[in-house]
Amino acid sequence: MTHARNLTLAHLWIGFIAFAIALVLGVWQMWSRSPLPAPFLTASTYFSSVTAHGTAMAYVLTTFMIMGFGYYVAETSLARPLPAPRWAWIAFWLGVVGTVMAVITIFSGRAAVLFTFYPPLVGSVFYYLGVVLVVAASWIWCVLMIVAMGQWKRANPGRPVPLAMFATVANAVMWLWTTAGVAAELLFQVIPAALGLKAQIDVGLSRTLFSWTLHAIVYFWLIPAYIAFYTMVPQAAGGRLYSDTMGRLTFVLFLIYSLPVGIHHLLMDPEQSNAFKFLQVALTALVSVPTLLTVFTIGASLEIAGRLRGGRGLFGWIGALPWERPLMLATGLSFVMLGFGGFGGLINMSYGMNAMVHNTSWVTAHFHLIFGGTVVIMYFAIAYTIWPSLTGRAAPSLAAQRTQLWLWFVGMLVMTLPWHYLGLLGQWRRVATFNYADPIIAAWGPWVIVSLVGGVLLLVSGLYFVYNLLQFAVTREAHVPAVLYATAVHPPARVPAALNGFRLWNVLVAVLMVLAYGYPLAQFFVIDPPGALVHRVDQRR
Amino acid sequence: MDADPRDRPFRLWASVAILAVFAFSVLFGFVLLPIIQGRAAGIDAFTSICRALGLAPGSPAAPQPVSDAKAHPTTRVAWSAGLMDSLARPSAAGASLAGACAACHGKDGRSVDPKLYPDLAGQSAAAIYKQLSDFKSGSRKNAVMTALAQPLTEEQVVALAAHFASFPVRPLPPAQVAAPAAAIERLVARGDPARAIAACNACHGDRSGGPVEAPRLSRQSTQYLAAQLRAFKAGERRNDIYSRMQSVAAALEDSEIDGLAAYYSNEPL
Amino acid sequence: MPLAEEAIVRSEVRWAAVAISVMSVIMLAIIYAGLVHHINPPSNIETIDPKTLHLSGEFTEANLGTRVAADGRVTSRIVATQFTFLPRCIVVPASRPVTLRFATPDVIHGVLVTGTNVNTMIVPGYVSQVHTEFTRPGDLLMPCHEYCGLGHSEMMATVRVVPPERFKPDAQGRVSCDAR
Repeated sequence: MTHARNLTLAHLWIGFIAFAIALVLGVWQMWSRSPLPAPFLTASTYFSSVTAHGTAMAYVLTTFMIMGFGYYVAETSLARPLPAPRWAWIAFWLGVVGTVMAVITIFSGRAAVLFTFYPPLVGSVFYYLGVVLVVAASWIWCVLMIVAMGQWKRANPGRPVPLAMFATVANAVMWLWTTAGVAAELLFQVIPAALGLKAQIDVGLSRTLFSWTLHAIVYFWLIPAYIAFYTMVPQAAGGRLYSDTMGRLTFVLFLIYSLPVGIHHLLMDPEQSNAFKFLQVALTALVSVPTLLTVFTIGASLEIAGRLRGGRGLFGWIGALPWERPLMLATGLSFVMLGFGGFGGLINMSYGMNAMVHNTSWVTAHFHLIFGGTVVIMYFAIAYTIWPSLTGRAAPSLAAQRTQLWLWFVGMLVMTLPWHYLGLLGQWRRVATFNYADPIIAAWGPWVIVSLVGGVLLLVSGLYFVYNLLQFAVTREAHVPAVLYATAVHPPARVPAALNGFRLWNVLVAVLMVLAYGYPLAQFFVIDPPGALVHRVDQRR
Repeated sequence: MDADPRDRPFRLWASVAILAVFAFSVLFGFVLLPIIQGRAAGIDAFTSICRALGLAPGSPAAPQPVSDAKAHPTTRVAWSAGLMDSLARPSAAGASLAGACAACHGKDGRSVDPKLYPDLAGQSAAAIYKQLSDFKSGSRKNAVMTALAQPLTEEQVVALAAHFASFPVRPLPPAQVAAPAAAIERLVARGDPARAIAACNACHGDRSGGPVEAPRLSRQSTQYLAAQLRAFKAGERRNDIYSRMQSVAAALEDSEIDGLAAYYSNEPL
Repeated sequence: MPLAEEAIVRSEVRWAAVAISVMSVIMLAIIYAGLVHHINPPSNIETIDPKTLHLSGEFTEANLGTRVAADGRVTSRIVATQFTFLPRCIVVPASRPVTLRFATPDVIHGVLVTGTNVNTMIVPGYVSQVHTEFTRPGDLLMPCHEYCGLGHSEMMATVRVVPPERFKPDAQGRVSCDAR
C-alpha cells in the first residue's frame, strides 16, 4: 500500500468519531421520548439533536467510511498506487471542513431542519454548505475511483477488473447519479432561500428531487457491506466465492435499479400520481432481486467453506464455519438482521401496507435495523479485518471484537423489534415528548423503555468498537499479512465488457431515470404549483 | 470494446427487463387499474386515467367532492413572496409616516405607555404588517387603531411595518424579577402535550421557523401580553389565522397567562 | 469438490426465477388490492395557494369540519397548521364512505389516524385527499406525523367515529364534536 494507509485511517477515524458522538445523541433522544424524565430537553435541543444525529450517521459516518474503504480496495485489489493522492487529501479536508461547518451550525441551534431538510423550513446556509462540501469531497473520490479502474484496465487489457474494485466503482458511478437530486434541490432551491434570494419554495419539487437521492443513498451505504460479503467473507470462511459473475451482476443491478425507485418514499404524498407511484413500486420489486441473489450466492459460498471444513448434512455445514473469526460472525449476524429488515422493506413498498406504517416508528425501526444493523455491523467487521494491514499490528483480542459485535446485534434487536411493534400500534415519528397521560400512549411506555435499553447497549457497543480499534496501538504483535480477497470457484479469465465496465449501464440508468422521473419532475414546471413561504429556523423574528 | 458480442445478451435482457417492467406498469398502473376502479365508481375511462396520471385532481376510484363554500376570512392579509421581500426592506417613506404613531408608540417604537400601547421597536415586520392590516380591514378592532389604520394605503402599511421593525428592541429594565416558575419555563420551551399546546417558543422564539406573522414577545409589557391572551381566550380577538392563538389561549389557565406574560416581558434576548 | 460452472449458473438462474416469482406475487397482491378493494395511494394533484389558503372558499375557517353534501356524500375538511389542526376534533360516521381533505397554509405536515388506513402527507401547495370507511365507533388519535417545526410533538387532533344512527347533520349538513 502506498498512499491508502494514511488516507484510509484518516477517513475511518473521522467517520467513527462522528459515529460515537451521534450514538450519545441517539440515546439521549430515546431517553427524551420515553416516560423517564430526561435532562436538557426542550423542543429546540431535541430537534437540533435529531438533525445532528441524522447528519452524522447518514452523511458523515457513511461517506467517510466509504471513501476510506474505497481507497483501501483500490490499492490492494488493483495492486497499484492510487492516482492523484493529493486530490484524495484535498477531498478529505473538504469533507472535514464541511462536517465541522455543519456541526457547529447545528449545535448553535441554527439548523433544526433534520437531515432530510424539510423545506420550506430553511436553516443557516452554513449547514447546507457543510453538507455540500462533504458531497463535493465524495465526488472527487468518485472520480479517483473511476480513474484508478481505468488506469488498471489500460495496463491489463482484456482482463477482468477485480470484483472488489468493480463493485467500488459501480458504487461511485451510482453515487454520482444519486447526488444529482439533492444537489439540484440544494443549489436551486434551498441555498438560494437560505441566502435570502428566494422568499418561497416549490415544496413538491424539492421533495421529489430529494426522493431521487433518498433511496439510492441507502445502496451507496450498503454496497461496501456487500463488497465484504462477496470478496472478503468467503476467504475468511475458508472457502470460495460461488460465482464471480453473479457478483458483478448484483452490483450492476444495484446501479441501475437503486435510482428510479425514489418515489416509493413519497407513496403517501399528494403531489405524485398513482400511475408513477405504481411504476416505481414495480421497479422497487426489481431492486429487491440483487439482495435475494446475494443471500443465495453468499449462502452457497459459505456452504462450500463449511463442507470443506467437514460439515455434513443439510445444515451441518453452518456449525462447521469458523464463527470465531469476527468477519464470519458479523456476516451471520448481519444476515439475520437483513432477514428482519428486508421483510420490513417489502411491507414498506406495498402502498396498501405502507399506509399502515408511513411516518410511524415502524419506519424509524426499519432503517435503524437495516442500516444501523445489517450494514454498520459489517462496517465494524471491515474495520477489524483491514486494521492489521493499516496499522501493521495484529488484532489484540478477537474475543473482544466478537463480544462487541454480539452486543451490537443484541442491542439492535432489543431497540428495533419493539419499535416496529409500536409503529404498528400507531406511534408516530419525530416527537420530543409524548403525552404519557393519554391511555393509548401510556400503553406504549414500557416498550419505549425497552427500546431505550437497546439503545444503551448500542452505545456501549459503539464505544467498545472505538476502544477495540485503539487497542491495536497497544499490542506489540506484528501483523502477518493474509490473503484478503476471495477467489471464485471458477475465476473468469475474461468477462464481457458489460461486466467489466459501465458504459451500457449508464445508458440504461439514463433511460430508466427519464422513464421513471421524467414526468414526475417535469410536471412541476408544467403545472407550476404555488410556492410556500420560507420559514427561517436560523433568524430572529 | 462496444462491439463485444458477449455483451449482446446483457443488452438484450436488460432492455427486455426494462421494457417489460415499463409495459407492465403502464398496462396496470396507467390504464387497467384506473379504468376498472372508475367503472365501479361510475367514472368514465378518460377521467379515471387522467386522475391516475395526475393530470386531473381526484381519485380514479371515487367521486371528487365539490365545494360551493363562500370565503369568510378572519383576516384579509394575503401573503406573497413579493410582500415578504418588501417587508424586509427598511423604508424612508415609513419614517415620514411614523410621526403620527409616535404619540402612543414612541418615536423609536418604544411605547410611551407599554401597559396600553405595545412596543413596536424591533418587532417582526410581518407581525406589524398583519396587525395594522387587520385594524384597517376591521378583522381586529380597537377604537383608536381602527380610525388611524383605515386611511392608510397598502404601501404605507408595508412601509410602517418595515420602519418599526428596524429599531432595536427596548433593553431589559435593571429591576430584579423573580425567576419564572418551572411550569412556566416548561410551557415556553416544551409546551404541554396533554393539552396539545406547542412550546410558546416554537412560534414566538428566535430561530423557530413558526408562522411568519408570529410576533416577537420579548420585552413587550406584561399587561399588554396578558390582555391579548385573555382577549384570544374570550373570543374577543379573532384575527389569528386558523385560530392558532385562540386554541392555545383557550387551554391556558389564568395563572399561566400571567406567568407567561411576565416571563416574556423580562426575557433576555 | 467438483462444481461445474454450468451447475453454478443453473442454480443461480433457478434462484433468480424464485426471487422474481416472489416479487411478482407481491406485485399481483398490490394489483388485486387495487382492483378489488380500490386501494390506491393518496395521490391528488390538486393545487391550492398556501399563502392565501385562509382566504379561500373551501378552506375558510367556517367551512372546516365534517359536512354532508346534498347527494349524501360525507366530506371532512381539515387545515393543518403550525401547530394545531382546525378543527381539533371531527365527527365521522362509521360504515359510510368518508372523504378527508387536508390543506396547510405553511409547511409540510402529515397525518395518520390510529387503527385505520388513513395516512397522508400534507404538502403546502396541494390539497391532500383520503377516501376511507371507518369501521368501529370510538375516539381515534390523529397526530401530525411529519416534522413541521418545534411544535410538532404537540400537534394532535381527534377523530370521533359515531355509529351511523347517531350521525345527525344540522340544516347546513354540518356535524361537529361540540354538538354532542
